[in-house]
Amino acid sequence: MLDTGVKKGGAARPRPTSRLSVIASGLVDDRGISALMLAPAVLVLLAINVYPILYTMYLSLFQYDASIPNAVPVFAGFENYRKLLSDANFLSSARITLTFVTAAVSIELTVGILIGLMISGRHPLIRAARVALLLPFIMAPVAAGVLWRTLFNVSWGPLDWLIRHLGLPPQQFLASPSQALMAVTMVEIWQQLPPVAFVVAAGYSSLPRDVYLAAAVDGASIWQTFWRITLPLLRPVIFVILLLRTMDAFKVYDIIAMLTQGGPASQTKLVSYLIWESGVRFLDMGRASAMSCIFLIAVFLISLLFIRALAWARVQTGAT
Amino acid sequence: MKPSVHPLRASIIGAGYALLVLVMVFPIYWLVLTSFKPGYLTQTNPPVFFTSKLTLTNYAQVFHDDSLRVFFLNSLTVALGTTFSAVSIGSLAAFSLSKSHLSYGLRHGILTWILLIRVFPPIVVGIPYFTLLQRVGLTDTRSGLLLTHLSLTIPFVVWLMLGFFQDLPEELDKAAMIDGCSMWRRFWQIGFPLVGPGVAVTAIFAFIISWNEYLFASILTSFNAKTLPVAIATFIGERRLEWGLMSAVGTFMLIVPVLFAFIGQRYIVQGLTFGAVKE
Repeated sequence: MLDTGVKKGGAARPRPTSRLSVIASGLVDDRGISALMLAPAVLVLLAINVYPILYTMYLSLFQYDASIPNAVPVFAGFENYRKLLSDANFLSSARITLTFVTAAVSIELTVGILIGLMISGRHPLIRAARVALLLPFIMAPVAAGVLWRTLFNVSWGPLDWLIRHLGLPPQQFLASPSQALMAVTMVEIWQQLPPVAFVVAAGYSSLPRDVYLAAAVDGASIWQTFWRITLPLLRPVIFVILLLRTMDAFKVYDIIAMLTQGGPASQTKLVSYLIWESGVRFLDMGRASAMSCIFLIAVFLISLLFIRALAWARVQTGAT
Repeated sequence: MKPSVHPLRASIIGAGYALLVLVMVFPIYWLVLTSFKPGYLTQTNPPVFFTSKLTLTNYAQVFHDDSLRVFFLNSLTVALGTTFSAVSIGSLAAFSLSKSHLSYGLRHGILTWILLIRVFPPIVVGIPYFTLLQRVGLTDTRSGLLLTHLSLTIPFVVWLMLGFFQDLPEELDKAAMIDGCSMWRRFWQIGFPLVGPGVAVTAIFAFIISWNEYLFASILTSFNAKTLPVAIATFIGERRLEWGLMSAVGTFMLIVPVLFAFIGQRYIVQGLTFGAVKE
């Protein structure tokens, strides 16, 4: 991933052949046009990404409660950060976020790999299954939220019906402090299994077939083939999707807003939801900004770690 | 080629597929079914899984709701505007980055930066956006929301288009250079037309990202620029019992990306991995 694929070394710039292009290259040469073509993207991203982040960093050093009329930011140094380190809400939210991300991503990866191998064939029925699998993934998380609220409903939802039919005691799902996080994780997994499966299927179908033939000739079992051939060969692809899934799991906000609003008893309050609550609902800008900065740095460090691991996996398998 | 499969194994495999399709697709079926059910069948115990008493009441209500029509138009305008801006700005940048006129360090640096933007959680910029848009008078406007959606879509477009441009045979570009084509003409008359299908798929992805986006829209819009995802979310609070109506809006929201996704199915994997894995 860190290998951006950019080619090193410049192509020889050809001599202009026509008079027109002599004039043109005198005014703006290819290097100039290249820079001009890059400029809009760079400027827009500076304005809507770098500037807001710098602004957040700046605000995180201030005591600024915008819910008080006419409040002005008062410089407070690292006071916001110091408070956060002993803030039970923040710490428990960080713990919940880590649980959520770990659970969601590990299940998405293991089950996703399995589904990926299942849907990599060319049989018409398998193709139909692939099309069906697209649906949960391209659905807006808010729409998925509405849908799962109806599925999880404790008095008329289908899941409640299923559990009763299996002879299990009725469950509270989203209303139970001990089950809500699991329920929310389940919705996230439901939406994000398909992308993992699609990527694994694509990686699998591009693997060299002769290796499998050789394994079959040597009498390898399906199990051995999977562990000794498929999984090692898929490692680079798996690492890419692992990185992307992990980073995206940290971003999750929509389904929390739709399903639980962080409750019950704050048991599903992911850090992104806590930041939203602190900054948008309670307008405590200083605290929200400081949390944003910590969150940003944490996510950045974790992705760096993953990128290192990815580079390592590439070296191990001799690059794809 | 294929060894004969033992009937027991075949049935286990069959059951696996059935379970997969059931778990993944049943929720969608439930959403669509609820949207077509008459009100008295939506909240029953035991739940009604099949019924022939389908109705279009919920949809009629959705289409006759004036404010929902406004929100739909907002969603559509913002998503189309975002797609158009992100694809044009992003393609230009990607073409420039795919050639070696600028220094390696600069190109590598910009691509790494863009990759990091893809990784950052949106909430981190969501809150400052409110203050910043307020300063330039763009809160609750479509253009304000469009601008923020560019931060989600441009990184995506750049990486995806970069892959498409790099796949083009280098000889084409060399030949054009020798004929004295400027960078701009090589982009506009050679590179961009040749990656046509890639542009289409990139546009589809950008559209879906903007169409489904909720966080920024909920912070930055109140009525004038409110989009469908925000409308659904407020429904949950205000119309607690009208699950049929909400399901109808949810189904409607799903139809648009579905239409697009079927067109771009072939390239979805490339889009999913930011161009890192190709099918």
